[in-house]
Amino acid sequence: MLIAIQLIRPAPNQNGQVTPADVSYTLSITDSVQLVLINSCYDCHSNNTRYPWYINVQPMGWIMARHVKEGKENLNFNEFGTYSKRKQANKLRSIATSIKEGTMPINSYNLMHKDARLSEQNKNLIIDWALKTKDSLGNN
Amino acid sequence: MKNVIMGIAITAIATTGCNNNSKSTTQKTAGNDNTKTDNTAVKTQTPGEGTTNSVVSIKPLIDHYLEMKNALANDNGKEAAAHGTALNLAIEELGKSPLTADQKKIYDDAAIDAKEHSEHIASNGSKIAHQREHFDMLSTDIYDMVKAFGAGTVLYKDYCPMYNNKKGAIWLSGVNEIKNPYYGNKMLTCGIVKEEIK
Repeated sequence: MLIAIQLIRPAPNQNGQVTPADVSYTLSITDSVQLVLINSCYDCHSNNTRYPWYINVQPMGWIMARHVKEGKENLNFNEFGTYSKRKQANKLRSIATSIKEGTMPINSYNLMHKDARLSEQNKNLIIDWALKTKDSLGNN
Repeated sequence: MKNVIMGIAITAIATTGCNNNSKSTTQKTAGNDNTKTDNTAVKTQTPGEGTTNSVVSIKPLIDHYLEMKNALANDNGKEAAAHGTALNLAIEELGKSPLTADQKKIYDDAAIDAKEHSEHIASNGSKIAHQREHFDMLSTDIYDMVKAFGAGTVLYKDYCPMYNNKKGAIWLSGVNEIKNPYYGNKMLTCGIVKEEIK
């Protein structure tokens, strides 16, 4: 059975392009913030996932595909510019809260990606950026 | 005696803002009668047969929103989740209605956002804190829609100054009485009525 399921592979989430709607073109963002986002968030929250070798090992591949699908549905940094101001502000708030509460990145991701784990410093960096940027978007 | 104390408490809190000293009580508040209280008897216009000018009503959205609000005030995440599902559907239905260009603009902005928050509330029945976070953002969306579409009934915009790290949060109510959905039983009467929306 374990062998059989290896034959069913999810399509990879890979695009290779930085679209003009990427968050880095939409909002004011420092290099350090951008680096953290790319390193710890983009795998699930963009159109470009860096796949580890076990993408082709099932059920890991399916699980990852589900995470990526859900991640993108909730927040896609590559398409941030297509969001209304209201949605951008709300997403920024949600980003700050989930980082603060430790619900993001998700546990399994942290487990498998040591380099993506957020230090306290990086957490604060993102939270500060998210909240300040949200405020600068105006009253909502 | 209890009612007298409640009355004094409500007046005190309503006039002086929120006080964090309130002990959490096991007493169920008068909030349990609530599911029907917010539903109004006002009939909204429904498009008659053969009319070319159908009036779009957001009453279904408001009804589900108010029920959700009551559930959160009662610390009932599961029930709030159920209303999240219902609200999500209602927003979808609204999107299929014949909207004017202006209404479509508001729909694409506020209603679409509200839909997302409804979904989060719907799928987090056991995480009421997370539901409340989304309810905060949802409330602003619904308020904007009420201002744009009209509610067809009197609503009250209430405000809790403490929620979200003291940034404050609003909610809508069908009655002129504070039942805080953000703190539920912990601080049920915390908040003030900021606006009566006719």
